[in-house]
Amino acid sequence: MPVGFRAKDMTRVQDSPPSFLVRHEFLIRRLHSLSGLVPVGAFMCVHLLVNASVLESPAAFQKNVYQIHSLGSLLPVVEWVFIFIPILFHAIIGVVIVMGGIPNTGNYPYAANRRYTLQRVTGMIAFVFIAIHVFHMHGWIHQDTWLEKVVRPLGGAEFHPYSAASSAGLALQSYVMVAIYLIGVLACVFHLANGIWTMGITWGVWISPKAQKRASNVCAIFGLLLAIVGVGALFGMRADGAGERLIEARQVEDKMYEHKLESGELKPNEHKRGGGEVTKSEETSQVSVE
Amino acid sequence: MIADATPASKKPSSFEVRVLRQDAPGEPGYWERHQITYEPNLNVISVLQKIAALSTTADGKSTTPVAWDCNCLEEVCGACTMLVNGRTRQACSALVDRLLEDNPAGIELQPMSKFPVLRDLVVDRTRMYRALERVKAWIPVDGYGDRGAGPKESQEGQEVRYPLSECMTCGCCVEACPQFAKVELFQRSDESDAEFAERKNRAYDQAFIGAAAISQAILFNEHPTGHMNADERLEALSAPGGLQVCGNAQNCVAVCPKNIPLTTSIARAGRQLTGYMFRKFFDR
Repeated sequence: MPVGFRAKDMTRVQDSPPSFLVRHEFLIRRLHSLSGLVPVGAFMCVHLLVNASVLESPAAFQKNVYQIHSLGSLLPVVEWVFIFIPILFHAIIGVVIVMGGIPNTGNYPYAANRRYTLQRVTGMIAFVFIAIHVFHMHGWIHQDTWLEKVVRPLGGAEFHPYSAASSAGLALQSYVMVAIYLIGVLACVFHLANGIWTMGITWGVWISPKAQKRASNVCAIFGLLLAIVGVGALFGMRADGAGERLIEARQVEDKMYEHKLESGELKPNEHKRGGGEVTKSEETSQVSVE
Repeated sequence: MIADATPASKKPSSFEVRVLRQDAPGEPGYWERHQITYEPNLNVISVLQKIAALSTTADGKSTTPVAWDCNCLEEVCGACTMLVNGRTRQACSALVDRLLEDNPAGIELQPMSKFPVLRDLVVDRTRMYRALERVKAWIPVDGYGDRGAGPKESQEGQEVRYPLSECMTCGCCVEACPQFAKVELFQRSDESDAEFAERKNRAYDQAFIGAAAISQAILFNEHPTGHMNADERLEALSAPGGLQVCGNAQNCVAVCPKNIPLTTSIARAGRQLTGYMFRKFFDR
């Protein structure tokens, strides 16, 4: 053990009055704990389950996406209030928490201590991954100049909700992207499953060592199931982005779009409909359908 | 008896002890090697006594005796807590035969890393006692008048509290805690001793309180008479540096030499604070 490790020790010693973060530390930490489950964790479960519906069929996934988009102009508000802002809060406070810790699995290689370190590592991976993922599929902010001048040239905002499975599948064709998504999704799943376990201790739900052990088993099973859902969704989506299945997905998405236009349920929206490379390739198939 | 488990042929004639030394508070540490003649049934304290008697390093240079703290020599006072081969424990119950079984290369001794070093292996654990003051880890019994018998104590309650009462404030739990960071202050030239002590206490009061004090707060909150001041302790546990800093690494319970169920106390404190938080918000 080098003598220099002392330099990493952090102190909050200062003569100035305590900062806002320090004064409200208890409340902020409890809100951080809560926000990890509701809404962030709950959203992630719904998100992965909806995505996994692509394994049923591109039509089933498309139907779910239409349902979400039936919120219309309220959608961005819901997105920001219940998803983006809570994730940002959880992530930023999380960074502050990580900076206050001194991981020591080297000298104390216990399972719970390893999970402590992993919780922080997966949290940081999740922060970076979610930023990349939202940029890649969504574009962060839906403002035309931003999308056209910055996001699209960088390969972002690839998901088109009215061409759901095909556009997501196309965006996941490169091995690099699949690797990023695989690591990111698994990190998020571990972080949630382990986070539920620590949350139970923080709020005093499971108290005795036996109860904590039982809870950690339940959390492990939950994590495993959610990982299967998440990885299934990822590869299911990818499979619908190439070859025959891409053409089939496009056909069913076209049919659903045309139908919604005809019934007046939807107004034409090129932004949500997407276009580009796919349209050309399946123009021919559309002709044959007609 | 433990030493006899090792066959005589395997016993070394001597072994090396590496000590991280420090001459005074705030000065840089330096490693010193000592070669000690093997004897059966040594503990780390007797090794330190041999080092003091030799006062010569492995290279044959004369040196000052290594300073260390000890008192009871039976693992109930906590004074000789230090890092033996990188892990926090009491030197008196660290048996050399066992240590050499795990690591035949020798023994490494360091002062605890989370407390200010006074000299060599001696550290200042004032912060541990300040933490007990923060949570009022006592039962106030003041006045001279006879106030009659206190509330009845149940057998179950006694059984929960007894293990918690075994804490010797040695500091192993916080030494192993990844959320507990060292706080070290130095006296300024224009500062009186009293001013310095006050500044130190202010700093300690904002830093993480640690598992030992959380568990003591629960010990006294669960006591029938101590329960009458439960809210004051909960208020202290939710102040800056309180229970919320815990990151659930659970090293505290793993290293506690008295096997105190510290993580149970932490979860119990969490539950009491959840209730207290709602009561405080909606009852005011």
